[in-house]
Amino acid sequence: MAVTLSLNVNGVVQSVSVPDSGMPLLWVLRDILGLTGTKYGCGIEICGACSVLIDGQAEKSCDFDVGSAVGKKIITIEGLSADTDGQKAQAAWIANQVPQCGYCQPGMLVATVGAMKAGQHGASIASGLSNICVCGTYQRVNKAIQSL
Amino acid sequence: MSDTITRRTIIAGTATALIVPFAVTVLGGAQPSSTAITTTAATVSTALGAYIKIDNLNNVTLFIGSSEMGQGIMTGMAQLVAEELSLTWSQVRVEHALASAATSNPYANPLFHMQITGGSTSMRGWYLPLRQAGAIARQMLLSAANQLTPGGTWVLASGGRASNGTKTYLFSELVATAATLTPPSSVSLATTNLFIGQKMARTDIPAKVNGSAVFGIDVKVPGMVFGAVVHCPTLGGTVSKMPSSASGALALVNLGNAVGVVATNTWSAMNIASQLSGSITWSMPSSTASRDSASILATAKSLLVSTTVTPRVYETAGSLDLGPVFASAKTKLDATYTLPYLAHGCMEVLNCTAVVTSTNCEVWAPTQGQQFCIPTIQTITGLPASAITVHTTFLGGGLGRKIEQDYIAQAVTMAKAVGKPVKLTWSRPQDFKNDKYRPCASIRVQAGLDVNNQISGLIYRNVSPSINIQRNTVAGNNPEDTGAVAGAVGLPYAIANRRIEYVPNPADIPLGYWRSVGESYNTFAVESAVDELALLAGKDPLAFRKTLLAGNSRALGVISAVETLSGWSTTTTPSGNARGLAFLSGFGSYIAMVVQISLNSSNQIRVNKVFCAIDCGIAINPDSIEAQIQSGIVHGLSSALWGQVTFASGVPNVNNFSNYRVLRLSEMPIISVKIVTSTAAPGGVGETGVPCVAPALANAYAKLTASRIRTLPFYPGATMSDD
Repeated sequence: MAVTLSLNVNGVVQSVSVPDSGMPLLWVLRDILGLTGTKYGCGIEICGACSVLIDGQAEKSCDFDVGSAVGKKIITIEGLSADTDGQKAQAAWIANQVPQCGYCQPGMLVATVGAMKAGQHGASIASGLSNICVCGTYQRVNKAIQSL
Repeated sequence: MSDTITRRTIIAGTATALIVPFAVTVLGGAQPSSTAITTTAATVSTALGAYIKIDNLNNVTLFIGSSEMGQGIMTGMAQLVAEELSLTWSQVRVEHALASAATSNPYANPLFHMQITGGSTSMRGWYLPLRQAGAIARQMLLSAANQLTPGGTWVLASGGRASNGTKTYLFSELVATAATLTPPSSVSLATTNLFIGQKMARTDIPAKVNGSAVFGIDVKVPGMVFGAVVHCPTLGGTVSKMPSSASGALALVNLGNAVGVVATNTWSAMNIASQLSGSITWSMPSSTASRDSASILATAKSLLVSTTVTPRVYETAGSLDLGPVFASAKTKLDATYTLPYLAHGCMEVLNCTAVVTSTNCEVWAPTQGQQFCIPTIQTITGLPASAITVHTTFLGGGLGRKIEQDYIAQAVTMAKAVGKPVKLTWSRPQDFKNDKYRPCASIRVQAGLDVNNQISGLIYRNVSPSINIQRNTVAGNNPEDTGAVAGAVGLPYAIANRRIEYVPNPADIPLGYWRSVGESYNTFAVESAVDELALLAGKDPLAFRKTLLAGNSRALGVISAVETLSGWSTTTTPSGNARGLAFLSGFGSYIAMVVQISLNSSNQIRVNKVFCAIDCGIAINPDSIEAQIQSGIVHGLSSALWGQVTFASGVPNVNNFSNYRVLRLSEMPIISVKIVTSTAAPGGVGETGVPCVAPALANAYAKLTASRIRTLPFYPGATMSDD
């Protein structure tokens, strides 16, 4: 059932018409709002490519009903550049030349920033990072995280 | 934006000196272009040949025929041109060229004259031609400067400038004039090494950390609708009867091998597609017996030992009759190695965006196979090649899967049917269940050791389904498949008497090219067998290989380098650890790898360290090479430990990463990479890191447990969950 919801995405509150309040946030971001930085990977919350921040906490948006995001602050990879922790993580990723194909990296970065916002640093961030990278950038991901 | 293309540069010949002969053909017409999804602040740009364009902001854009799928080829290629033009790195831009299948296509890899990315060939094919293109552009820019202000000696100054000591021009001030000049008949290559051999920052990384990089799945076209597909659950099934509509769908499209669903968003399209499955009647393939893992393996076992089948013999050396050789052997090895079908599992699922009208077609695809796109689209649309434009986006991994045309054909068919732009995205289960799988392989190695512990004879028989035969099923056609024995023929080891045989397994599971292709299975058999022979000989596996490689300086170079790097001969492993070694000469490179493992609390392998030495000739970007080796190792580990697809009467057993496990950060070994200094021509890197992993792992495991693993994966049926 089509509904209109108010979403706060990357600091902008906007009215969004969605076909169903149970539509995953991932596809609302990608197909309706055009924010394609957040990626579809597995659709079952395993790979983490779809990670976004909901009120500062990393969540997998492929199985997060858009209706549940109403009233919360959603930050996507596109919004990380305006976030202090996001900027630090991005700078570390560039300094360590982390990405290869780059497809999983928005999720990696968002999950990392979520851990930073939970007060974690270095090894404690890495130990909780379960995102999949088929390119195998893990060694550089780990190195980048050690500086955070 | 106005692009002025006055000529295409086609370069032939191989340089042995700095003076490089080349030919220029003036063709005109087609534009390498910026795509609808790329924006630039520059308003005017002028091309110098097919590869280089200079805009009014003095940025230099390189158009490449290879696809950027993570290997860093955009950066590596840009380094070649930046070197020749003494550019500043920040003024360098790189774009994918449009697809072409024309015989005069300047973006076809000069190694094999096709516009595809595969086989670790991009740098091997383009190293000299792109340097030459840069050098030609340099010469033309300098000539233009001299034409505008005659006199003095015009030389390049950094930052895209030319100077004669008194006057300095930006390239942007010269390019219009330069484009009118006749290209020089020979050029000198730069000797500066400002970029080649340097760890230049990748040009694509900034966009890959802020969400702005556009992969195929991210393409947006005005008026676009969204598509999904559902294939027959049994491989090879085709649509017999399907509903004409479905609730919530804008259209259902018969794609032959699948039903396409068009909807207002991807989520709806995927949901409708998965619910539709039950209401489609599929026409099943006539026999599913050859699509069943158990029967495929049984066939392989029988062909491995068959004396009636006539194998294709791809290499012989020494005595043609190995009977007497084995009869006089001191010790004999007769071992069978078995490897499974594998899936690609690219992070970015298959997808394609297409617009089809009565007069033209425009497609955006994450493709490694530009060469095949235009013919594929022509078959569906009936349009002339000149009316078809195919843009290559970033690829979220390719791994060989994205050379295929199935998903592109589907998107074009759907767009044509609905008369609107369609972005087709496969669901992850559709991606895993409709892959073009890495062939399974059963390999028998019979080898003898003489009294001096030399390998006196080798009979190698590979039984595996043939990619080539499957793709050339024309009646009477009986194609060769040298790829099936890649990694088994031309071994640099001193083995006087040898016969390398191939027997195609008739199984008809759809096959495809998978990162490192033939080497991905043959190197497992070869390097496991060499280790087994070393143990039979009572020799250290590394010393044993050195003896077999005597006189081969590049091979010995990487073996010695990994010996030092890993401390193989100088340090003992920590308690509970063991090391294993493997070596490969392939893809134009030499690589040696040592893995160090222990067992975890579940008695399963924990990979602690991997040491790798590679000689890939001239190392264009050492940082990219290190990254690619790390990447190959991770891909090799995931596959060796867990990778497997099985089939029950044509139905694959995998549908997501939940049952196709891959390595995670917490399981990552510490990888050390040593690039051996070399002045040889550039070799391949993207695939080179993969093949040695599985045998090095098996060799370490044998050392640690005295148990020899000859069947991959180590841990079949592995799963992974969301933590």
